Amino acid sequence: MKRTLHSLLVLGLVCLWIAPALAATPKDNPKVLTAASKNLIEIGLSYKGDQIHFFGVNPVPGADVVIRLTAEKEDAVKLSVKGKVGPFWMTVKQYEVTGSPFIYKIHSGKPLEQIISPDTARELELGYPAIKDKMQMHLIRGDAAPEDKDLVFKGMLKIKEEANLYNIVQDPQRLEVAEGRLFKHYFRFPPAATEGRYLVESFCFDKGQLVGYGKDVIEIKKVGLEAWMTNTSQNHPTFFGILAVLIAAGTGLLVGVIFRKGGHH
Amino acid sequence: MEIYLPIAGMSINFFLVIGIGGLVGFLSGLFGVGGGFLLTPLMMMIGIPPAVAAASDSNQIVAAASSGAFAHWRLGNVDFKMGLIILAGGIFGGTIGVQLVKVLRAAGNFEFVMKVVYVLMLGLVGGAMFMESLRTILRSKKQGAAVETTAVSEPKLGRLFAKLPLKMHFHRSGLSTSAIFPFSIGTIVGIMAALLGVGGGFIMVPAMIYIIGMPTIAAIGTDLFQIVLTSANVTLQQAMFNKTVDLLLALILLFGSTIGAQFGAIVGRRLKGEQIRILLAVIVLVLTVKIFLDLVITPSDLVSLAPATGGGH
Repeated sequence: MKRTLHSLLVLGLVCLWIAPALAATPKDNPKVLTAASKNLIEIGLSYKGDQIHFFGVNPVPGADVVIRLTAEKEDAVKLSVKGKVGPFWMTVKQYEVTGSPFIYKIHSGKPLEQIISPDTARELELGYPAIKDKMQMHLIRGDAAPEDKDLVFKGMLKIKEEANLYNIVQDPQRLEVAEGRLFKHYFRFPPAATEGRYLVESFCFDKGQLVGYGKDVIEIKKVGLEAWMTNTSQNHPTFFGILAVLIAAGTGLLVGVIFRKGGHH
Repeated sequence: MEIYLPIAGMSINFFLVIGIGGLVGFLSGLFGVGGGFLLTPLMMMIGIPPAVAAASDSNQIVAAASSGAFAHWRLGNVDFKMGLIILAGGIFGGTIGVQLVKVLRAAGNFEFVMKVVYVLMLGLVGGAMFMESLRTILRSKKQGAAVETTAVSEPKLGRLFAKLPLKMHFHRSGLSTSAIFPFSIGTIVGIMAALLGVGGGFIMVPAMIYIIGMPTIAAIGTDLFQIVLTSANVTLQQAMFNKTVDLLLALILLFGSTIGAQFGAIVGRRLKGEQIRILLAVIVLVLTVKIFLDLVITPSDLVSLAPATGGGH
């Protein structure tokens, strides 16, 4: 009995402790009205990435706006770290990296550190330091070294930035705010942005305090031949393999018949 | 014009792929080799993930070789018995090779092993071919007249293998040898076909002529016949276990290589045999040096993405 009371008390305390944390989630703030030029991107044969324009209304005129693009899915990638073995460069260790976003782009009118405190930035996961904190590394192979976290994070950042999956643009030209109220900007979705649901979140800060939050969902999906090929190769690999062989052999024979000389080898 | 490759998961210039297919087709038409050994590294250079490049090239080779095999079959140049035994070895080797790719990809060193095997193979083949063709050119200059190719001496290794059990007679090739011999050559080439995405013709044909002792034309016909089936097996296994066959990429490559091969064959008829061989040797050696440098020069990025095993994108 005493034990139960005790647990209840602990539970109550925990709730009290959690409550303010919950109240601080962005969703509880005044909604920022936003609109996207479209909410669906289709990957077809000639897909080379896409661009979507976003518009929004700042709830507090003159407040700073920060926009973040992330994916619903989290990344779970394996990264190889190269090292020198004798005269050759080869993979010496591997890390499985989880917890980092698959795509991460930020637009703001001025540098983040002028808008919010480092603590707020970490709490809301705005900026690369927050991503580095969130990133988890599990050594799969090789020997860990203390400098690995920096090395792997920098390496991952470079890979992501080259694929145009990560970037932070702090430029009033890129995020225009008309008369402190209406803001507009665009996100480029690179070809490496694969199928899935993507979130575009708008944060408005007044003197470092969050005063508004809005969210748009963008979906990317393969259509037509692209969707069919991907699904078939992943879900019916044997059928896909046989089909690939038959199509290739059929085409080869056809070419042989057309050119009569019998192709090339 | 950009095209999105569904399995490679990337957008690439359509004409770049057609152009590479055309170039390799041109070279294979000119030199009479499959060209898979050039195609895979070229694909990797333009950013196709190595495993997807190798698997899709195997798929492309099925098509390229089947058109040649069909023509040789009509001319009666295929030794089916020999081909089937080599094929049995090829399927055995291909199966081992695909599992090897799976293990190596998971360990993150697939690219390294692939490049080392490439450097060794290409360096050996390119070097030998360069020396042989250079000697022929020098000799023909000295004598002022074209030198007939020296008759192939009866291979010593072939005689040794003929003493092993499971001896068989091969009617079309006009020889008797142990079945173990073509089977083990098939196995080795099968493993390489999976590792490198090559048909293996550039190793197989010399092996059949110089080691087994088959007539050249029967060697080429039989080789093409077994390449169709070996690379079909590799394609199927890659699709089943690694899910890395990009059919769209293979089809574009095929389109380019078919056209290129026709032009290559036309130019090839105007050049002398040793001129063609020395040209091929130089290309192969340049490629070898490039891949070798990749292995020893400090990479610009120490951290790289390791593709997840079995993941297709």
